[in-house]
Amino acid sequence: MNFPCERISHSEEETKLIAEEFLSVLKPGDVVVLNGDLGTGKTFFIKKITEALGITKANSPTFAIVNEYESGQDTRIYHFDFYRINKVAELHDIGLEDYLADDEAITFIEWGELFPEVLPHKRYEIKIEEVSNEQRKFRFNKFT
Amino acid sequence: MIILGIETSCDETSVAVVKNDSLAANLISSQYFHKNYGGVVPELSSRAHLQIINPLVKSALEKSSIQLDDIDIISATAGPGLIGALLVGLTYAKGLSLSLNKKFVAVNHIEGHIFSGFLMKEKPEFPFICLVVSGGHTLLLLVKSFTEIYKLGSTVDDAAGEAFDKVSKLIGLGYPGGPKIQKAAEKGDPNRINFPIAELKEPYNFSFSGLKTAVLRYVQQQGGIQKIDEQHIFDIAASFQSAVIKALIQKLKKAIGNFDVKSVSIVGGVAANSLLKEKAEQLSSKYNLKLVIPSLEFCGDNAAMIAFRAKTLFENGITHDLNYKPYPSLDENSFLSL
Repeated sequence: MNFPCERISHSEEETKLIAEEFLSVLKPGDVVVLNGDLGTGKTFFIKKITEALGITKANSPTFAIVNEYESGQDTRIYHFDFYRINKVAELHDIGLEDYLADDEAITFIEWGELFPEVLPHKRYEIKIEEVSNEQRKFRFNKFT
Repeated sequence: MIILGIETSCDETSVAVVKNDSLAANLISSQYFHKNYGGVVPELSSRAHLQIINPLVKSALEKSSIQLDDIDIISATAGPGLIGALLVGLTYAKGLSLSLNKKFVAVNHIEGHIFSGFLMKEKPEFPFICLVVSGGHTLLLLVKSFTEIYKLGSTVDDAAGEAFDKVSKLIGLGYPGGPKIQKAAEKGDPNRINFPIAELKEPYNFSFSGLKTAVLRYVQQQGGIQKIDEQHIFDIAASFQSAVIKALIQKLKKAIGNFDVKSVSIVGGVAANSLLKEKAEQLSSKYNLKLVIPSLEFCGDNAAMIAFRAKTLFENGITHDLNYKPYPSLDENSFLSL
Protein backbone atom coordinates (compact mmCIF):
# COMPACT_ATOMS: atom_id res chain seq x y z
CA MET A 1 0.00 0.00 0.00
CA ASN A 2 1.43 3.39 -1.03
CA PHE A 3 0.07 6.57 0.53
CA PRO A 4 -2.11 8.41 -0.22
CA CYS A 5 -4.38 5.90 -1.88
CA GLU A 6 -8.02 4.94 -2.33
CA ARG A 7 -9.89 1.67 -2.18
CA ILE A 8 -13.51 0.96 -3.01
CA SER A 9 -15.32 -1.83 -1.22
CA HIS A 10 -18.53 -3.37 -2.55
CA SER A 11 -19.06 -5.88 0.23
CA GLU A 12 -18.13 -6.77 3.80
CA GLU A 13 -15.82 -9.43 2.39
CA GLU A 14 -13.99 -6.85 0.32
CA THR A 15 -13.72 -4.52 3.33
CA LYS A 16 -12.07 -7.39 5.20
CA LEU A 17 -9.46 -7.70 2.43
CA ILE A 18 -8.79 -3.95 2.48
CA ALA A 19 -8.43 -4.08 6.28
CA GLU A 20 -5.91 -6.90 5.99
CA GLU A 21 -3.96 -5.05 3.33
CA PHE A 22 -3.78 -1.97 5.56
CA LEU A 23 -2.84 -4.06 8.61
CA SER A 24 0.24 -5.32 6.77
CA VAL A 25 1.78 -1.80 6.88
CA LEU A 26 1.07 -1.25 10.60
CA LYS A 27 3.72 -1.60 13.29
CA PRO A 28 3.53 -1.29 17.09
CA GLY A 29 3.47 2.37 18.11
CA ASP A 30 1.38 3.44 15.11
CA VAL A 31 -1.68 5.65 15.46
CA VAL A 32 -4.58 5.33 13.02
CA VAL A 33 -7.30 7.97 12.87
CA LEU A 34 -10.64 7.00 11.30
CA ASN A 35 -13.03 9.67 10.10
CA GLY A 36 -16.39 9.29 8.45
CA ASP A 37 -20.06 9.88 9.22
CA LEU A 38 -22.18 7.79 11.52
CA GLY A 39 -22.82 4.39 9.97
CA THR A 40 -20.02 4.43 7.40
CA GLY A 41 -18.33 1.52 9.15
CA LYS A 42 -15.42 2.88 11.23
CA THR A 43 -15.93 0.30 13.98
CA PHE A 44 -16.50 -2.42 11.37
CA PHE A 45 -13.18 -1.65 9.67
CA ILE A 46 -11.29 -1.80 12.99
CA LYS A 47 -13.12 -5.02 13.83
CA LYS A 48 -11.84 -6.57 10.60
CA ILE A 49 -8.26 -5.47 11.39
CA THR A 50 -8.41 -6.87 14.93
CA GLU A 51 -9.99 -10.10 13.71
CA ALA A 52 -7.00 -10.56 11.42
CA LEU A 53 -4.90 -10.29 14.60
CA GLY A 54 -6.99 -13.00 16.26
CA ILE A 55 -9.04 -10.64 18.44
CA THR A 56 -12.73 -11.48 18.25
CA LYS A 57 -14.20 -9.17 20.85
CA ALA A 58 -13.67 -5.72 19.32
CA ASN A 59 -16.83 -3.64 19.52
CA SER A 60 -17.91 -0.02 19.73
CA PRO A 61 -16.02 2.02 22.35
CA THR A 62 -18.46 4.94 22.15
CA PHE A 63 -19.65 4.41 25.71
CA ALA A 64 -16.35 3.39 27.29
CA ILE A 65 -14.32 5.95 25.22
CA VAL A 66 -11.46 3.47 24.93
CA ASN A 67 -11.38 -0.32 24.59
CA GLU A 68 -8.22 -2.35 25.02
CA TYR A 69 -7.55 -5.64 23.26
CA GLU A 70 -4.63 -8.01 23.50
CA SER A 71 -3.85 -10.38 20.65
CA GLY A 72 -2.15 -13.75 20.91
CA GLN A 73 0.82 -12.33 19.04
CA ASP A 74 1.45 -9.85 21.86
CA THR A 75 0.00 -6.91 19.97
CA ARG A 76 -1.87 -4.52 22.20
CA ILE A 77 -4.64 -2.47 20.62
CA TYR A 78 -6.19 0.72 21.97
CA HIS A 79 -9.50 1.52 20.32
CA PHE A 80 -10.69 5.08 21.02
CA ASP A 81 -13.88 6.86 20.08
CA PHE A 82 -14.02 10.66 20.43
CA TYR A 83 -17.74 10.79 19.55
CA ARG A 84 -18.89 11.35 23.14
CA ILE A 85 -16.04 13.68 24.14
CA ASN A 86 -17.09 17.26 24.86
CA LYS A 87 -13.77 18.99 25.35
CA VAL A 88 -10.03 18.38 25.09
CA ALA A 89 -9.60 18.44 28.88
CA GLU A 90 -11.54 15.18 29.05
CA LEU A 91 -9.05 13.50 26.74
CA HIS A 92 -6.10 14.73 28.82
CA ASP A 93 -7.88 13.45 31.88
CA ILE A 94 -8.45 10.03 30.35
CA GLY A 95 -4.69 9.91 29.76
CA LEU A 96 -4.70 9.96 25.95
CA GLU A 97 -1.00 10.99 25.89
CA ASP A 98 -0.06 7.89 27.89
CA TYR A 99 -1.90 5.62 25.48
CA LEU A 100 -0.32 7.32 22.47
CA ALA A 101 3.14 7.02 24.04
CA ASP A 102 2.85 3.23 24.27
CA ASP A 103 5.33 1.99 21.65
CA GLU A 104 4.08 -1.55 21.92
CA ALA A 105 0.49 -0.81 20.98
CA ILE A 106 -1.40 0.19 17.87
CA THR A 107 -3.94 2.92 18.61
CA PHE A 108 -7.11 3.45 16.57
CA ILE A 109 -9.12 6.62 17.02
CA GLU A 110 -12.66 6.91 15.67
CA TRP A 111 -13.92 10.47 15.11
CA GLY A 112 -10.35 11.75 15.53
CA GLU A 113 -11.20 14.81 13.41
CA LEU A 114 -13.31 16.17 16.28
CA PHE A 115 -10.11 16.99 18.22
CA PRO A 116 -7.31 17.40 15.67
CA GLU A 117 -5.15 19.26 18.22
CA VAL A 118 -4.51 16.12 20.27
CA LEU A 119 -3.55 13.87 17.36
CA PRO A 120 0.13 13.04 16.96
CA HIS A 121 1.72 14.46 13.82
CA LYS A 122 2.94 11.03 12.76
CA ARG A 123 -0.21 9.07 12.01
CA TYR A 124 -2.32 7.31 9.43
CA GLU A 125 -5.68 8.74 8.49
CA ILE A 126 -8.53 6.84 6.92
CA LYS A 127 -11.57 8.66 5.62
CA ILE A 128 -14.53 6.41 4.96
CA GLU A 129 -17.31 7.61 2.68
CA GLU A 130 -20.54 5.95 1.73
CA VAL A 131 -20.73 5.76 -2.08
CA SER A 132 -24.02 3.88 -2.12
CA ASN A 133 -25.87 1.51 0.14
CA GLU A 134 -23.24 -1.25 0.17
CA GLN A 135 -20.30 0.60 -1.35
CA ARG A 136 -17.65 2.35 0.71
CA LYS A 137 -14.74 4.49 -0.40
CA PHE A 138 -11.63 4.35 1.83
CA ARG A 139 -9.07 7.13 1.50
CA PHE A 140 -5.77 6.31 3.18
CA ASN A 141 -3.23 8.94 4.09
CA LYS A 142 0.04 8.86 5.97
CA PHE A 143 1.56 11.80 7.86
CA THR A 144 5.20 11.53 8.84
CA MET B 1 -22.47 -7.23 58.26
CA ILE B 2 -21.95 -3.81 56.69
CA ILE B 3 -20.68 -3.45 53.12
CA LEU B 4 -19.49 -0.28 51.42
CA GLY B 5 -19.83 -0.30 47.64
CA ILE B 6 -18.11 2.11 45.26
CA GLU B 7 -18.86 2.41 41.54
CA THR B 8 -16.83 4.63 39.19
CA SER B 9 -16.73 2.65 35.94
CA CYS B 10 -17.99 5.38 33.65
CA ASP B 11 -19.87 8.67 34.04
CA GLU B 12 -21.50 8.18 37.43
CA THR B 13 -19.79 8.16 40.78
CA SER B 14 -21.86 6.13 43.21
CA VAL B 15 -21.46 5.01 46.82
CA ALA B 16 -23.75 2.60 48.65
CA VAL B 17 -24.01 0.99 52.06
CA VAL B 18 -25.63 -2.42 52.56
CA LYS B 19 -26.42 -3.05 56.22
CA ASN B 20 -27.19 -6.71 56.92
CA ASP B 21 -29.78 -7.45 54.29
CA SER B 22 -31.03 -3.99 53.58
CA LEU B 23 -29.82 -1.08 51.53
CA ALA B 24 -29.00 1.85 53.83
CA ALA B 25 -27.75 4.28 51.19
CA ASN B 26 -27.31 4.43 47.42
CA LEU B 27 -26.00 7.84 46.38
CA ILE B 28 -25.37 8.61 42.72
CA SER B 29 -23.29 11.64 41.72
CA SER B 30 -25.65 13.11 39.14
CA GLN B 31 -28.44 13.28 41.69
CA TYR B 32 -26.03 14.44 44.39
CA PHE B 33 -24.63 17.18 42.20
CA HIS B 34 -28.13 18.12 41.28
CA LYS B 35 -29.22 18.55 44.86
CA ASN B 36 -26.07 20.17 46.18
CA TYR B 37 -24.74 22.18 43.30
CA GLY B 38 -27.91 23.32 41.56
CA GLY B 39 -27.89 21.01 38.59
CA VAL B 40 -24.24 21.01 37.61
CA VAL B 41 -23.71 17.98 35.45
CA PRO B 42 -20.24 16.60 36.06
CA GLU B 43 -18.01 16.39 33.03
CA LEU B 44 -16.83 13.14 31.64
CA SER B 45 -13.61 12.63 33.55
CA SER B 46 -11.85 10.75 36.26
CA ARG B 47 -11.11 14.08 37.95
CA ALA B 48 -14.83 14.48 38.47
CA HIS B 49 -14.88 11.09 40.23
CA LEU B 50 -11.92 12.17 42.32
CA GLN B 51 -13.64 15.37 43.42
CA ILE B 52 -16.90 13.76 44.40
CA ILE B 53 -15.89 10.40 45.86
CA ASN B 54 -14.90 11.56 49.34
CA PRO B 55 -17.93 13.76 50.04
CA LEU B 56 -20.14 11.02 48.57
CA VAL B 57 -18.68 8.39 50.96
CA LYS B 58 -19.17 10.78 53.89
CA SER B 59 -22.79 11.41 52.91
CA ALA B 60 -23.44 7.69 52.50
CA LEU B 61 -22.07 6.98 55.99
CA GLU B 62 -24.17 9.78 57.49
CA LYS B 63 -27.26 8.58 55.72
CA SER B 64 -26.66 5.04 57.03
CA SER B 65 -25.84 6.34 60.53
CA ILE B 66 -22.55 4.47 60.66
CA GLN B 67 -18.88 5.30 61.18
CA LEU B 68 -16.09 4.25 58.83
CA ASP B 69 -14.92 1.67 61.33
CA ASP B 70 -18.33 -0.06 61.40
CA ILE B 71 -17.79 -1.27 57.84
CA ASP B 72 -16.89 -4.96 57.45
CA ILE B 73 -16.27 -5.18 53.71
CA ILE B 74 -15.12 -2.56 51.24
CA SER B 75 -15.93 -3.18 47.61
CA ALA B 76 -15.48 -1.38 44.31
CA THR B 77 -16.00 -1.95 40.60
CA ALA B 78 -12.81 -3.28 38.99
CA GLY B 79 -14.08 -3.36 35.38
CA PRO B 80 -15.09 -3.22 32.66
CA GLY B 81 -15.07 0.54 32.16
CA LEU B 82 -12.92 3.56 31.57
CA ILE B 83 -9.55 2.75 33.12
CA GLY B 84 -8.89 6.18 34.65
CA ALA B 85 -12.36 6.27 36.14
CA LEU B 86 -12.10 2.71 37.48
CA LEU B 87 -8.76 3.49 39.07
CA VAL B 88 -10.28 6.26 41.20
CA GLY B 89 -12.90 4.07 42.84
CA LEU B 90 -10.78 0.94 43.06
CA THR B 91 -7.73 2.69 44.52
CA TYR B 92 -9.90 4.62 46.96
CA ALA B 93 -11.49 1.36 48.13
CA LYS B 94 -8.16 -0.41 48.43
CA GLY B 95 -6.71 2.49 50.42
CA LEU B 96 -9.69 2.44 52.76
CA SER B 97 -9.39 -1.32 53.14
CA LEU B 98 -5.70 -1.07 53.97
CA SER B 99 -6.06 1.75 56.48
CA LEU B 100 -9.10 0.27 58.22
CA ASN B 101 -7.82 -3.30 57.95
CA LYS B 102 -11.08 -4.54 56.41
CA LYS B 103 -11.77 -7.17 53.77
CA PHE B 104 -11.70 -6.01 50.16
CA VAL B 105 -13.86 -7.36 47.32
CA ALA B 106 -13.40 -6.33 43.67
CA VAL B 107 -16.61 -6.49 41.66
CA ASN B 108 -17.23 -7.00 37.95
CA HIS B 109 -19.60 -4.22 36.87
CA ILE B 110 -21.63 -6.58 34.66
CA GLU B 111 -22.01 -9.06 37.51
CA GLY B 112 -23.29 -6.14 39.56
CA HIS B 113 -25.99 -5.52 36.93
CA ILE B 114 -26.77 -9.25 36.60
CA PHE B 115 -27.74 -9.50 40.28
CA SER B 116 -29.33 -6.05 40.56
CA GLY B 117 -32.75 -7.73 40.51
CA PHE B 118 -31.98 -8.98 44.02
CA LEU B 119 -32.20 -5.40 45.27
CA MET B 120 -35.93 -5.58 44.58
CA LYS B 121 -38.59 -6.98 46.90
CA GLU B 122 -39.48 -9.61 44.28
CA LYS B 123 -36.18 -11.28 43.47
CA PRO B 124 -35.18 -13.54 40.57
CA GLU B 125 -35.14 -17.28 41.24
CA PHE B 126 -32.28 -19.47 40.05
CA PRO B 127 -31.73 -20.49 37.36
CA PHE B 128 -32.63 -17.40 35.40
CA ILE B 129 -32.00 -15.85 32.01
CA CYS B 130 -30.54 -12.38 32.32
CA LEU B 131 -30.58 -9.71 29.63
CA VAL B 132 -28.12 -6.90 30.35
CA VAL B 133 -28.99 -3.87 28.21
CA SER B 134 -27.31 -0.52 28.74
CA GLY B 135 -25.42 2.24 26.97
CA GLY B 136 -22.22 0.23 27.00
CA HIS B 137 -23.33 -3.40 27.09
CA THR B 138 -25.80 -5.86 25.60
CA LEU B 139 -25.45 -9.42 26.90
CA LEU B 140 -27.60 -12.49 27.30
CA LEU B 141 -26.68 -14.84 30.14
CA LEU B 142 -27.76 -18.01 31.88
CA VAL B 143 -27.36 -17.55 35.63
CA LYS B 144 -27.50 -20.75 37.69
CA SER B 145 -26.32 -19.40 41.03
CA PHE B 146 -24.32 -16.53 42.50
CA THR B 147 -21.16 -18.24 41.27
CA GLU B 148 -22.29 -19.80 37.98
CA ILE B 149 -22.81 -17.35 35.15
CA TYR B 150 -22.75 -18.47 31.53
CA LYS B 151 -22.59 -15.96 28.70
CA LEU B 152 -24.88 -17.00 25.85
CA GLY B 153 -24.26 -14.04 23.59
CA SER B 154 -23.52 -10.34 23.34
CA THR B 155 -23.52 -7.50 20.86
CA VAL B 156 -20.99 -7.76 18.06
CA ASP B 157 -20.93 -3.98 17.55
CA ASP B 158 -23.04 -1.28 19.24
CA ALA B 159 -24.84 -1.70 22.55
CA ALA B 160 -28.64 -1.28 22.51
CA GLY B 161 -28.47 1.91 24.58
CA GLU B 162 -25.83 3.30 22.28
CA ALA B 163 -28.14 2.71 19.30
CA PHE B 164 -30.86 4.68 21.12
CA ASP B 165 -28.45 7.57 21.77
CA LYS B 166 -27.07 7.71 18.25
CA VAL B 167 -30.43 7.41 16.49
CA SER B 168 -31.92 9.99 18.83
CA LYS B 169 -29.21 12.46 17.84
CA LEU B 170 -29.67 11.51 14.19
CA ILE B 171 -33.38 12.37 14.19
CA GLY B 172 -32.89 15.52 16.23
CA LEU B 173 -34.32 14.32 19.54
CA GLY B 174 -31.09 14.74 21.51
CA TYR B 175 -29.66 13.21 24.66
CA PRO B 176 -30.42 10.98 26.52
CA GLY B 177 -31.70 8.86 23.66
CA GLY B 178 -33.64 6.24 25.65
CA PRO B 179 -36.31 8.46 27.23
CA LYS B 180 -36.43 10.86 24.23
CA ILE B 181 -37.10 8.08 21.73
CA GLN B 182 -39.58 6.37 24.01
CA LYS B 183 -41.55 9.61 24.42
CA ALA B 184 -41.56 10.35 20.68
CA ALA B 185 -42.43 6.72 19.88
CA GLU B 186 -45.60 6.96 21.99
CA LYS B 187 -47.01 9.33 19.36
CA GLY B 188 -45.70 7.37 16.37
CA ASP B 189 -46.64 4.41 14.20
CA PRO B 190 -44.20 1.50 14.78
CA ASN B 191 -45.29 -0.16 11.53
CA ARG B 192 -44.63 2.76 9.20
CA ILE B 193 -41.01 1.84 8.44
CA ASN B 194 -39.71 -1.69 8.34
CA PHE B 195 -36.22 -1.35 9.83
CA PRO B 196 -34.11 -4.51 9.63
CA ILE B 197 -33.34 -6.89 12.48
CA ALA B 198 -29.85 -8.34 12.11
CA GLU B 199 -29.57 -12.03 11.29
CA LEU B 200 -26.46 -13.44 12.94
CA LYS B 201 -24.73 -16.79 12.81
CA GLU B 202 -24.47 -17.03 16.59
CA PRO B 203 -28.00 -17.60 17.96
CA TYR B 204 -27.73 -15.31 20.99
CA ASN B 205 -25.66 -12.47 19.61
CA PHE B 206 -26.96 -8.98 18.85
CA SER B 207 -26.06 -6.35 16.29
CA PHE B 208 -27.41 -2.79 16.28
CA SER B 209 -24.94 -1.04 14.01
CA GLY B 210 -26.82 -1.96 10.84
CA LEU B 211 -30.08 -0.71 12.30
CA LYS B 212 -28.48 2.65 13.13
CA THR B 213 -27.19 2.87 9.54
CA ALA B 214 -30.64 1.94 8.19
CA VAL B 215 -32.20 4.85 10.09
CA LEU B 216 -29.47 7.17 8.79
CA ARG B 217 -30.09 6.02 5.22
CA TYR B 218 -33.85 6.43 5.63
CA VAL B 219 -33.37 10.01 6.87
CA GLN B 220 -31.08 10.74 3.89
CA GLN B 221 -33.64 9.29 1.46
CA GLN B 222 -36.22 11.74 2.78
CA GLY B 223 -33.82 14.56 1.91
CA GLY B 224 -32.40 15.09 5.41
CA ILE B 225 -33.82 15.72 8.84
CA GLN B 226 -35.04 19.26 7.94
CA LYS B 227 -37.43 17.82 5.34
CA ILE B 228 -39.11 15.43 7.78
CA ASP B 229 -42.22 16.62 9.61
CA GLU B 230 -42.85 16.02 13.31
CA GLN B 231 -45.26 13.10 12.90
CA HIS B 232 -42.80 11.41 10.57
CA ILE B 233 -40.07 11.76 13.26
CA PHE B 234 -42.41 10.13 15.77
CA ASP B 235 -42.99 7.29 13.29
CA ILE B 236 -39.24 6.82 12.76
CA ALA B 237 -38.70 6.76 16.54
CA ALA B 238 -41.51 4.23 17.00
CA SER B 239 -40.34 2.02 14.12
CA PHE B 240 -36.74 2.10 15.37
CA GLN B 241 -37.70 1.37 18.96
CA SER B 242 -39.89 -1.49 17.83
CA ALA B 243 -36.99 -3.02 15.83
CA VAL B 244 -34.60 -2.84 18.82
CA ILE B 245 -37.12 -4.35 21.21
CA LYS B 246 -38.04 -7.06 18.68
CA ALA B 247 -34.38 -8.07 18.40
CA LEU B 248 -33.98 -8.19 22.18
CA ILE B 249 -37.19 -10.14 22.74
CA GLN B 250 -36.41 -12.55 19.89
CA LYS B 251 -33.12 -13.62 21.52
CA LEU B 252 -34.63 -13.65 24.99
CA LYS B 253 -37.38 -15.95 23.72
CA LYS B 254 -34.86 -18.29 22.14
CA ALA B 255 -32.92 -18.52 25.41
CA ILE B 256 -36.06 -19.13 27.46
CA GLY B 257 -37.07 -21.89 25.06
CA ASN B 258 -33.70 -23.61 25.20
CA PHE B 259 -32.97 -23.53 28.91
CA ASP B 260 -35.03 -24.73 31.82
CA VAL B 261 -35.25 -21.59 33.92
CA LYS B 262 -37.50 -20.24 36.66
CA SER B 263 -37.23 -16.54 35.96
CA VAL B 264 -36.12 -13.79 33.63
CA SER B 265 -34.35 -10.63 34.67
CA ILE B 266 -33.77 -7.58 32.48
CA VAL B 267 -31.21 -5.15 33.86
CA GLY B 268 -29.24 -2.06 32.83
CA GLY B 269 -30.40 1.37 31.67
CA VAL B 270 -32.45 0.17 28.68
CA ALA B 271 -34.52 -2.02 31.06
CA ALA B 272 -36.33 1.23 31.89
CA ASN B 273 -37.89 1.21 28.39
CA SER B 274 -41.63 0.68 28.73
CA LEU B 275 -42.10 -1.18 25.43
CA LEU B 276 -39.36 -3.64 26.44
CA LYS B 277 -41.11 -4.09 29.80
CA GLU B 278 -44.47 -4.67 28.13
CA LYS B 279 -43.09 -7.23 25.64
CA ALA B 280 -41.05 -8.98 28.34
CA GLU B 281 -44.16 -9.24 30.52
CA GLN B 282 -46.08 -10.87 27.66
CA LEU B 283 -43.23 -13.28 27.02
CA SER B 284 -42.68 -14.29 30.63
CA SER B 285 -46.35 -14.78 31.34
CA LYS B 286 -46.65 -16.97 28.24
CA TYR B 287 -43.83 -19.18 29.54
CA ASN B 288 -45.06 -18.89 33.11
CA LEU B 289 -41.83 -17.36 34.35
CA LYS B 290 -41.21 -14.77 37.00
CA LEU B 291 -39.99 -11.48 35.51
CA VAL B 292 -37.77 -9.15 37.50
CA ILE B 293 -36.86 -5.70 36.19
CA PRO B 294 -35.13 -3.49 38.76
CA SER B 295 -36.55 -0.05 39.48
CA LEU B 296 -34.99 2.98 37.78
CA GLU B 297 -32.57 3.59 40.66
CA PHE B 298 -30.99 0.16 40.16
CA CYS B 299 -31.21 0.00 36.33
CA GLY B 300 -28.61 2.69 35.71
CA ASP B 301 -25.08 2.49 37.07
CA ASN B 302 -25.22 2.41 40.87
CA ALA B 303 -23.14 1.24 43.81
CA ALA B 304 -25.96 -0.66 45.52
CA MET B 305 -25.56 -3.45 42.99
CA ILE B 306 -21.78 -3.43 43.59
CA ALA B 307 -22.17 -3.70 47.37
CA PHE B 308 -24.78 -6.45 46.97
CA ARG B 309 -22.56 -8.39 44.54
CA ALA B 310 -19.64 -8.03 46.98
CA LYS B 311 -21.85 -9.49 49.71
CA THR B 312 -22.69 -12.59 47.65
CA LEU B 313 -19.04 -13.05 46.67
CA PHE B 314 -17.95 -12.76 50.31
CA GLU B 315 -20.63 -15.25 51.35
CA ASN B 316 -19.15 -17.64 48.79
CA GLY B 317 -15.72 -17.25 50.31
CA ILE B 318 -14.37 -14.80 47.74
CA THR B 319 -12.33 -11.75 48.75
CA HIS B 320 -9.46 -10.10 46.90
CA ASP B 321 -5.89 -8.98 47.50
CA LEU B 322 -4.97 -5.32 47.44
CA ASN B 323 -2.90 -5.81 44.31
CA TYR B 324 -6.08 -6.44 42.30
CA LYS B 325 -5.94 -4.46 39.04
CA PRO B 326 -8.72 -2.72 37.13
CA TYR B 327 -9.61 -4.11 33.70
CA PRO B 328 -11.07 -1.98 30.88
CA SER B 329 -12.70 -4.72 28.80
CA LEU B 330 -14.94 -7.63 29.58
CA ASP B 331 -12.69 -10.55 28.76
CA GLU B 332 -14.22 -13.75 27.51
CA ASN B 333 -13.32 -15.47 30.76
CA SER B 334 -13.87 -12.70 33.26
CA PHE B 335 -17.18 -14.04 34.60
CA LEU B 336 -17.19 -16.48 37.41
CA SER B 337 -17.29 -20.08 36.21
CA LEU B 338 -16.92 -19.31 32.55
